[in-house]
Amino acid sequence: MDQVWTLVSFGDEGWGDEIARGTLLTVALALSTLPFGLLLGFFVALAKDSNEPSLKRAAEIFTTIFRGLPELLTLFIVFFGVQILLRQFAELFVENPTIEINSFFAGMVALGLVFSAYASEAFLSAFKGIPSGQYEGGFAVGLTRFQTMRLIILPQLIRLALPALSNLWLILLKDTALVSVIGLADILRQSGIAARVTKEAFLFFGIACLIYLVLAILSSIVLGGIERWAKRGEAAR
Amino acid sequence: MSRMKWMAAAVTALALTVGAAQAQEMRKIKIGTEGAYPPFNNLEADGSLVGFDVDIAKALCAEMKADCEFVTQDWDGIIPALLAGKFDAIIASMSITDERKKVIDFTNKYYNTPPAIAVPNDSKLGGVMASDLSDIRLGAQSSTTHSNYAEEKFPDADLTLYPTPDEYKMDLANGRIDAAIDDVVVLSEWLDTDDGACCRILGTLTPDMKINGEGAGIGIRQGEDELKAMFNKAIDAIRANGTYDEINKKYFAFDVFGS
Repeated sequence: MDQVWTLVSFGDEGWGDEIARGTLLTVALALSTLPFGLLLGFFVALAKDSNEPSLKRAAEIFTTIFRGLPELLTLFIVFFGVQILLRQFAELFVENPTIEINSFFAGMVALGLVFSAYASEAFLSAFKGIPSGQYEGGFAVGLTRFQTMRLIILPQLIRLALPALSNLWLILLKDTALVSVIGLADILRQSGIAARVTKEAFLFFGIACLIYLVLAILSSIVLGGIERWAKRGEAAR
Repeated sequence: MSRMKWMAAAVTALALTVGAAQAQEMRKIKIGTEGAYPPFNNLEADGSLVGFDVDIAKALCAEMKADCEFVTQDWDGIIPALLAGKFDAIIASMSITDERKKVIDFTNKYYNTPPAIAVPNDSKLGGVMASDLSDIRLGAQSSTTHSNYAEEKFPDADLTLYPTPDEYKMDLANGRIDAAIDDVVVLSEWLDTDDGACCRILGTLTPDMKINGEGAGIGIRQGEDELKAMFNKAIDAIRANGTYDEINKKYFAFDVFGS
């Protein structure tokens, strides 16, 4: 038992600090992907909901691509593909250019693209759940389009899209495990190294498992709070 | 016109700075390794990188008077990362194969060990011929020469592929597979631990040049012949001056360079 405590301790003897850093990276990556993915997803949904055919088509192509491709492939394309492209482009001007796409940034973009493709569908169904009378009411009392969106549509949209978005958040949290292939040391990569070096696979993968579960539980507590906040208007009914 | 001139001057200046920086960096080499393949290359709990590959890489860098920096990278993305320029050389026990040569270039080998078959202690398997291993469940790490070897040489075996050696080890220990194929060094290292008490080596296999290739080499991008020549010269040098033997002795009881 003492040996186990040494293995998971923080410091030079144990892997606790490595795994903690991995956890931090996973959480940081998921949290920084979220706003990017949500925003992009929202605009893609707006485009799909619009009456402009070209915009609609573009948004549909976007969703088809990023929902269709495996996340791992998207990650490879963003990280390696784009870097190779940039390198070849730069080679036209200088010899042996050193261009490097930051792994964290690449992970964020790739996961964000996938997240937004799915989120756009969640937003779209939420948009469809808001009757056009809501917009007309807004315009009737003299609100601008932007004000109508911000004050009337968005609060309802959040409430309607939240269950689907909660799912997407949890999927995102787990998808971050893919970034180990582009050199980021997340929970899975760190515990994997620890498992292979110490030969204590069960211990370290067990720890990784617990960390993901704890993150999921924390997420549902926060999401529960947001849901109560989003439904605060309903309680008065 | 004057603006055009100014821009041309700026671009030239930029190109010159980059050129100068390149000349300065000639001896700066970034080395990519997996960091999870003991005893060849693995990270330690204190964050340090150790192992045979790492020591060899350091010796080569000292020989080349190069300033080397190590980058750890998951195995699956290691060749794409080299191509994308994340590092300049892969020193991670990568076997030289024709398949890989299509994408990257290799130096001469810096070691070559034979594959072997490990089985549970109570296994009734009699030998390592293809006829001995028909209709058994055989485990291997995917995308390795060992999985290719198994596919080619043991077509009658039921092959299961695992992302890392740890998984086939666990499955071998709990009886989900009958045998596992991997490098003799990897297997014997594992069998020496408590976890490996379940199993033993059934026998080593004859390497097939076509599959196992010429051994493990240093992977570099195609067309970088100067770097390749530098590494080859350094490998010969550390072989000749005894540095290699010292590192070999530190890790293994047998000669890993092979013939």
